[in-house]
Amino acid sequence: MNWFTLFPLIMVVTLIIMGLYVVLFKKNLIKIIMGIALMQNGANLFLVSLAYREGYVAPIWTSAPSADMVLPTPHALTLTSIVIGVATTALMLSFVMMIKKHYGTINSDEVRRCRE
Amino acid sequence: MNVDLLTQSPVFVLAIPLLFAFLTPLANKVSKELRNAVFLIGLLLTTLFVSLMAYEVYTMGSWIYVFGAEQPTTGLTTQSFFRITFLADGFSVLAALTIIITALGAGIYSFGHMKESNGLGKFYTLFLLTLAGVNGMVLTSDLFNLFVWFEVTSIASCGLIAYHNDRGESVEAALKYMIISVIAGLLLLFSIGFFYGEYGVLNYFLIRDSMTGSLIDILAIGMVMVILAMKASSVPMHMWAPDAYSEAPEPITPFIAITSLGSLFVLFRLLFFVFRGAVETSAIGSILIILGVLSMFIGVSMALKQSDLKRLIAYLSVSQIGYMMMAVGVGLATLGTGDYGIFGARAMEGGLFHMINDGVYKALLFLSAGGIVYVADTRDLNKLGGLAHHMPYTTFFFIIGGLSIAGIPPLSGFSSKLLIYKSVYLYNPVLAIIALVVSIVTLALIGKIFFNAFLGPDQGVGKKIPRSMILAMSILTIVVVLFSLFPNYVVAEIVVPAIEGLGVGA
Amino acid sequence: MNFKMSVVVRTVADIMIIPIIVFGIYLILHGHLTPGGGFQGGAVIASATALLIVAWGTLKDNKDDFSTMESTGLTMFFLLALLGIIMGFSLFYNSLAGTGGIFGGTVSGINPGYINTGGTVPLMNIVVGLEVVAALSLILYMMAKRSDALEVEE
Repeated sequence: MNWFTLFPLIMVVTLIIMGLYVVLFKKNLIKIIMGIALMQNGANLFLVSLAYREGYVAPIWTSAPSADMVLPTPHALTLTSIVIGVATTALMLSFVMMIKKHYGTINSDEVRRCRE
Repeated sequence: MNVDLLTQSPVFVLAIPLLFAFLTPLANKVSKELRNAVFLIGLLLTTLFVSLMAYEVYTMGSWIYVFGAEQPTTGLTTQSFFRITFLADGFSVLAALTIIITALGAGIYSFGHMKESNGLGKFYTLFLLTLAGVNGMVLTSDLFNLFVWFEVTSIASCGLIAYHNDRGESVEAALKYMIISVIAGLLLLFSIGFFYGEYGVLNYFLIRDSMTGSLIDILAIGMVMVILAMKASSVPMHMWAPDAYSEAPEPITPFIAITSLGSLFVLFRLLFFVFRGAVETSAIGSILIILGVLSMFIGVSMALKQSDLKRLIAYLSVSQIGYMMMAVGVGLATLGTGDYGIFGARAMEGGLFHMINDGVYKALLFLSAGGIVYVADTRDLNKLGGLAHHMPYTTFFFIIGGLSIAGIPPLSGFSSKLLIYKSVYLYNPVLAIIALVVSIVTLALIGKIFFNAFLGPDQGVGKKIPRSMILAMSILTIVVVLFSLFPNYVVAEIVVPAIEGLGVGA
Repeated sequence: MNFKMSVVVRTVADIMIIPIIVFGIYLILHGHLTPGGGFQGGAVIASATALLIVAWGTLKDNKDDFSTMESTGLTMFFLLALLGIIMGFSLFYNSLAGTGGIFGGTVSGINPGYINTGGTVPLMNIVVGLEVVAALSLILYMMAKRSDALEVEE
């Protein structure tokens, strides 16, 4: 495992830790959603870096050079996860917009009308 | 042009709700009646295809449906190992039957209940999308596909929870559920990444065959278990469930419960079918038993102090999840030892029978509670009273559902709970005693709701229950009564094939 | 409330949406040959909507058109998938590949870039593109209508 393959994994861990920190310790709902988006990006980067094989080319058949191609399954998975990420982020942001309208605040300490 | 509907049925179970989900908004532009008709046709067609799939599985045996292959039943080859596959076997049929019975009840119920709401085109779309998502989750045999349907279910059911978005509480509950679901989805994605990085495949069969039980496997299995137990509202991760159940529109509440049951089905499928060879089954079984006991006990004790009707039933639902986890955990813990033949298989039968039972009677309970809320316009048990004067049918349905959840003979809950008590007692008597105590407390709570809501002086109500709501609850009651009258038949014809589908023998 | 920007921004935005939309269509149509496809192309085209919303403050109310387009795209996608079953194969089977007609051309070996190939795949890219343009524009539009934000989920 050389530096080139290790670097994305270090970035993955960094992104996840940053995201987790934001989700756990910030009170602003918009910031919490930003933290989730950071973690989503970390997961996507993890999947893409899994697909990397040294010496293989991208799986595009148009005018392809005669070399081995990587299997595009993780790329498809990443793309799906990006699409889902767009949908979830949009949905969560619109929930926050509605919460702001009803509660007048987006501080997660004050958004607690549902009783335990 | 010769379409073999029987072989193609698993994919139609998924495709029909999806197609009709997209057709509903188009029909909504024409007229309300057409939209309702499209929605109903979608539900009925899905029921038809579930029945076709059940017929084919019970007469011809199970098969693997390969997407995009020349013939759907060719199976996986070395050229097509990356294709999406569906697995149609007894376990899928059990799960699909549980889901479709509840969905049929909830769908017909929503005609009457949601009559006065606006924006119903989107409501029915989200309803059918959730149905498709849960069906996809339980039918698929591919981790990638599982992730997609998991997220579809989360997004659609969050939209449904927040449907009454003029109330801040609904939106708050939906956001809470959404954040939990998204983080669960991320963990699932990571564990899929671990499996892919290690084996280069995502199909259940191929992962099962190549699994070695390394440290990465254990980590990924642990994450998958946490995620699915969280979605199933098992105890340490149950805090979203009461909010989501109580704030969702009344017809949707049983449906959220069904997504929980669906996650539990997926958890059992993965543990028994995929991970079994690579892990210490007794350890995983013990974890399931501990989670189950905690869910039973804490669920029912939290229910004791609730005065909100739907919140109380939500906590009861959490405690019912515990029964299934405990029973199947006993089955898993004894797997491979001599005890499995003596009582492990009975525990599995009890657990899986309890799942289909629970899906149906809990839906009945939630829907009749929804009827109470519809008529009395409050969920506070201290303000309710005297409703039996106005709603004799709903009172009857509530008694059937309530006695069933409390495990009173001769109703269906009793049959499955008896199987669980008898087998779990042989494993460890303490577990059976806890289960019995939880049942008794459940009965007390059902009695509390019954006395508070239905008995007492007539307080007068404004609204009458629409006929479609009565019809929906009657359908579910008939199913509960059938399960109560023929438990032997249900166990032999539906539950035992499901256990065989998990590959462990009954 | 109107957040209209200056005339320079509005004019440049009006001009820039043309190359953006053309590039998006290119991505969609070449989805089966090069990286890209329905979602990516659709997202590029939807960014034109975002540009217009930023420049003009708001758009005229066309959310009904967008939601019709979205449902139509998804329905068409599923009908294309069901085509495999109707022709007697399985769901998503590419029953149009190599049969002549539109997108039915055949290639042997590595495809040097013939666009008239791919069977149902390019058709699916096109309908997914339609759906994504509509859905993302709808989301952007709903979020831009600040005062009526409550309608987002309806």
